[in-house]
Amino acid sequence: MRPLRPLAALLVTAAALSGCAEDPASVAADYPSEDIRLLVPYTAGGPTDIAARALGAHLEGELGRPVVVENLPGASGATAYTELIGSQPDGHTLSMTALPTAVLNYLANDVGYTREDFAPIGVVTQVPSGIVVPAGSPHQDLESLFEAARQDPQAVTVGTPGATNTHAAETRRITELHDVPLTVVPFEGNAEVQTALLGGNVAAGFVNLSQDVLPAIESGELRLLAVGTEERLPYADAPTFVELGYPELTQSTATFGVIAPAETPDEVVSTLEGALRSASEDEAVVEALDPRYVPEEFLGSADLAGLFTETEETFRDVVGG
Amino acid sequence: MGISDGIVQGFAVALDPVNLLYVFAGVLIGTVIGVLPGLGPTATIALLLPLTYTIEPATAVILLAGIYYGSMYGGTITSVLLRLPGEAASVVTTFDGYQMARQGRAGPALGIAAIGSFVGGILSVLGLMLLAPPLADLAVSFGPPEYVALTALGILLVTYLGSGSPLKSLSMAALGLLLATVGQDPITGTTRFTFGSVALFDGLDFVAVAMGLFGVGEILHSLERTDKVQAVTRRIRHIWPTRQDLRDSSGAIARGSVLGFVIGVLPGGGGVISSLASYALEKRRAKDPSRFGRGAIEGVAGPETANNASSTSAFIPLLTLGIPANVVLALIFGALLIQGVTPGPQLISEEPEIFWGVIASMVVGNVMLLVLNIPLVGVFVQLLRVRAGVLAAFALLVTMAGVFSVNNDSFDMWVVLVFGVIGWLMKKTGFEPGPLVLAFVLGSIMERAFRQSMLLSGGSLDVFVTRPLSGGLLAVMAAVVVLSLVMARRRRAAFRHVEPEGEADLGTAPTPGRDTRRTSDSVDTDVPSAPGER
Repeated sequence: MRPLRPLAALLVTAAALSGCAEDPASVAADYPSEDIRLLVPYTAGGPTDIAARALGAHLEGELGRPVVVENLPGASGATAYTELIGSQPDGHTLSMTALPTAVLNYLANDVGYTREDFAPIGVVTQVPSGIVVPAGSPHQDLESLFEAARQDPQAVTVGTPGATNTHAAETRRITELHDVPLTVVPFEGNAEVQTALLGGNVAAGFVNLSQDVLPAIESGELRLLAVGTEERLPYADAPTFVELGYPELTQSTATFGVIAPAETPDEVVSTLEGALRSASEDEAVVEALDPRYVPEEFLGSADLAGLFTETEETFRDVVGG
Repeated sequence: MGISDGIVQGFAVALDPVNLLYVFAGVLIGTVIGVLPGLGPTATIALLLPLTYTIEPATAVILLAGIYYGSMYGGTITSVLLRLPGEAASVVTTFDGYQMARQGRAGPALGIAAIGSFVGGILSVLGLMLLAPPLADLAVSFGPPEYVALTALGILLVTYLGSGSPLKSLSMAALGLLLATVGQDPITGTTRFTFGSVALFDGLDFVAVAMGLFGVGEILHSLERTDKVQAVTRRIRHIWPTRQDLRDSSGAIARGSVLGFVIGVLPGGGGVISSLASYALEKRRAKDPSRFGRGAIEGVAGPETANNASSTSAFIPLLTLGIPANVVLALIFGALLIQGVTPGPQLISEEPEIFWGVIASMVVGNVMLLVLNIPLVGVFVQLLRVRAGVLAAFALLVTMAGVFSVNNDSFDMWVVLVFGVIGWLMKKTGFEPGPLVLAFVLGSIMERAFRQSMLLSGGSLDVFVTRPLSGGLLAVMAAVVVLSLVMARRRRAAFRHVEPEGEADLGTAPTPGRDTRRTSDSVDTDVPSAPGER
């Protein structure tokens, strides 16, 4: 980062000058006036961290100030969000966020913040989820799996990659809304669910269709029965829950986005939103993020805010119940 | 991938210049800390843990593994020359090694230890190559009930085998299990014992706890030493053992390799236990057991071989099941987790460069150690002149900076300091931190697996006995309880009629801090006195 500083300083001067020349009255013109911290609520080297670093490099070019990526892992994001809302709402401290984990966490625990404390900037990636069974499973489709569960309420165990993320909550919603008795067995991460599936210790898994699982689906080790998106996915051959008759089950997609503290000036938010939009159109950034997960249409501040509200409404009654 | 492909890939990784450098750094650091009393492999790896996350996962494990088996070589040097075990596993070597040195045979003692360590290490690597992949295949079918049985077995073994008083060990293991429950419930996500603090949501950080108990605790404890160690200046000649020596010890080396390998695989096994077991075996087999304790070369060759063999085979449960067999492996487990790699049955197929690279690096590392050790013995001994205060201040600085860098969280620094004080007090009162840390790591695995088992079985405990693997493991556990009671009695009897010097408490207290302290005339790792006096 250090060798970039003189360059960044130069860019800032250039940006400031051109800004002045074009629109001297703009309030956002002097933003950013210092280095920007981009907090990552997960460990270095993980998918969110890699996304943040790719994004940070782009923002640095767009905004003309160094963007320092800082990992504050732990407590399902609460460590990073607590740091975020405690900082000045001037756009110089931002955080990556993951939905619905961020919402589920404050719904279930007293962490000292809610979505009201955040100013959403925009969506970076969306990773869908799906129900998988091992290749040797007798269930060729979702109906067969659910039928087995209705026959014997103990029969179908569903491994999920965590206790507090969307998959466990979404599986319980299947049971509640459609009367399909499924037993949620939380594991730690996709890899453990995968091992449990291959070892025949759980009947099915509700997992993120992230880069670590897709190869097993492509090789046929795991069979994808349904995906939790509105539309079918171009890279995974399976029907959606919606077309199978479970229209509510669209809340399992994990959304990764950028947020600022509430009270951040609107001009600053829209400057940042613009920078994110240009990142989503930049080929190098998209490649680093994995093109499969970058939304086709850029989702900005209002869209992310909508997702926060929607997630909260969906899971308010499921969590803790 | 076949085993031969794996080996080829492994050597491609291990012979990469960067990795070669790290193997070398690892075995060198290992030897050095093996020589320095007090700072064992556990403390060192705990201290270096956070620094490894900037390097490749395979390289990180290569480095840490190098430190581990390197320390097994290094510990021998001071055991033989000064009767000062540099790390726990070398305690046994003081019995006969130091006597050999007194008889002017320090050279052959060190030579045979290096040769034995090399043979044990290499044979154990071969065993690891052949055994781990099929075990990993089997491990895929390991479900939550099997993990419960395995972790329970591990905690049981570490408390039974690891230290002097089973009661103290059990209480520490219980404390470890209790500490493991802090944080979010693994099944419901509800927070427990967090006292409303977000910093405790994920529980206590394992790295911080281990660094506190082992690293800072050890540093504080070492500062209490007032005596300065005097280095031996006597020249060491004839390192290469005579033909007679080799003939005498070849059997001990062969048996030590097998014994060490088997014990290393067992949860709770590793260093000290393997060297003790080998010593006991050699003594029982000897035609004239009274030679032991008076400079019998088999008494050096067997245990030294066994401890190195066990330090290699201890990697098997970690790399195939994701279960650390002992505390050092628990730290290496931590290093992999920091890297985002979860060790488990899929490791060999998904991260072959880690598995095979580490194995191949062990071959390279053992060769380096053999080359390093024989000519450089004198140099390593000079290390004992470094002042404890200087070392301690430096180590503390590295620890604090290191632990902060893992999570960028100053809370972890407090955890280190608090557990450092606890570790220091534990050492003073004869409680071992080992069972605590291992139970802390295994406890969270066990709890999650137990709760998963209950979900899978619909709340019936039958699941643990009706599944053949977990039922078998539980049977092993029952056998261990019975056997350990019988063994403890027998071991006590075996050592009773040996001259009391140096091994009076061997049967019950294999760890150096305890057993040597109670033996008034032997040198303690913690409180060394000038060896010239004897």
